[in-house]
Amino acid sequence: MPQKALTLYELNSLVREVIESTFDHAYWVEAELSEAREVRGHCYMELIQKDLFSPTPVARASAKCWKTSWSKLRPKFESVTGQPLHAGMKVLLLVEPNFHEAFGFSWIVQDIDPTYTMGDMARKRQEIIHQLKAEGVFDIQKELQIPSFAQRLAVISSENAAGYGDFCSQLEHNDYGFKFYPTLFPAIMQGEQVEPTIIASLNQINRQIHRFDVVVIIRGGGATADMSGFDTLALAENVANFPLPVITGIGHDRDESVLDMISNTRVKTPTAAAALLIDNLANVWKHIENLQNSITTQVTQHMIQEQSRLDRCSERIPLLFSMVKTRQEARLERLSSQITNNTKSHLSAQQQRLLLITTGIRPLIERGMLNERHRLDQLSIRLNAVDPKLLLKRGYSITTLQGKTVRDPSQLQPGDEIETRLEHGTIHSIVK
Amino acid sequence: MATETKYENAIRQLEDIVEKLENNELDIDEMSKQLKKAQQLIKLCKDRLTKTDAEIQKILSDE
Repeated sequence: MPQKALTLYELNSLVREVIESTFDHAYWVEAELSEAREVRGHCYMELIQKDLFSPTPVARASAKCWKTSWSKLRPKFESVTGQPLHAGMKVLLLVEPNFHEAFGFSWIVQDIDPTYTMGDMARKRQEIIHQLKAEGVFDIQKELQIPSFAQRLAVISSENAAGYGDFCSQLEHNDYGFKFYPTLFPAIMQGEQVEPTIIASLNQINRQIHRFDVVVIIRGGGATADMSGFDTLALAENVANFPLPVITGIGHDRDESVLDMISNTRVKTPTAAAALLIDNLANVWKHIENLQNSITTQVTQHMIQEQSRLDRCSERIPLLFSMVKTRQEARLERLSSQITNNTKSHLSAQQQRLLLITTGIRPLIERGMLNERHRLDQLSIRLNAVDPKLLLKRGYSITTLQGKTVRDPSQLQPGDEIETRLEHGTIHSIVK
Repeated sequence: MATETKYENAIRQLEDIVEKLENNELDIDEMSKQLKKAQQLIKLCKDRLTKTDAEIQKILSDE
């Protein structure tokens, strides 16, 4: 016999009663969000639990948060995590079961613990960082240098958002008049499409890499938006390994996303990125001006030195010349007077000599004469002494034969005619 | 990237010239030659920073 049938309402009420009596309090549950959407102020979520080894969830449930609660919970959640609720997040929820005869079963969210989600986000981020370090790519972007003349920019940003427009405008109207050449490679900057679209843009840039100096990834500011898309391993690896320096300005003002950690330079906003690039050129400009000034100063200084050197030399020339002139004149003077003096003294000496000789001559001559006279006198005396007349006077006689004096009688022949001179005459005789 | 660009090379040449001047390595003739070169390099770099590619092309084709 068939039992009495219940109405559906009655059946459901039974279920409701059982549930209400079994679950007399709220439970904290850990789950992953596969979906989260806000409709008219209420938040509708799909919760799942995934098994490590299979892609199919082992548990699934719906959860709702009514507007009255959600209006408080949402700001609390977002202020701690910096992100809105979105698929893929792990959450810790305080839920109460609700079974309504008409609407079926659902968990009602009373509270949410954002630190759990933070913890999970942090954990995921740490895993990625770890992996990147193990691959040795965590720091490699930092080894690149933004070039001095970084003007050709490959910009990855959302096509429509204000970020890119402001960025370009700032670059175009910079105070220094520097020229930049930005090219947009559009990508989706929030949600799940972040990773694939940015990677696609990077690949595109890579194909024309010689046309660019740096890559800039920027995202307009605004309300806290879904940044989780930037915390993926694939994106980080792509950026880390990129051959040009990557500047990221994706608008995080709290914890850095992994992308910010591995990029070459991180700034907070697109404005800051533009300012960085402008400052970079300003530094180069300043450096050039410093070099220019150095060169000018150095050259001017050297020219002044050379000019002084020239001036000094040319100043000294007349002086030196007159010194030389004076010296030479003095020398000439000296020599001239030396010549004069020497000549004079020479003349004087000669004159003296002459005088000496002259005065000496007379006495000498006189003496000489005297001597000669004496000599003559002596000779005369001697002569006189041997004057035959004296002999004759004394009574001697001289006999001559034909004029020759006879000293030896043997010379005479009888018959010779001889003459014998006496003091007072001559005897003519004939030898017998 | 690894290789210097034309402009970075220009800056390095300028730094070189300054060093030579500071060390008094240049005589007057050499100094005037280097000064001329420096002026060209400075103009090259400054133009690169503040003139558009189009303007630079025009300047180069006018020279």
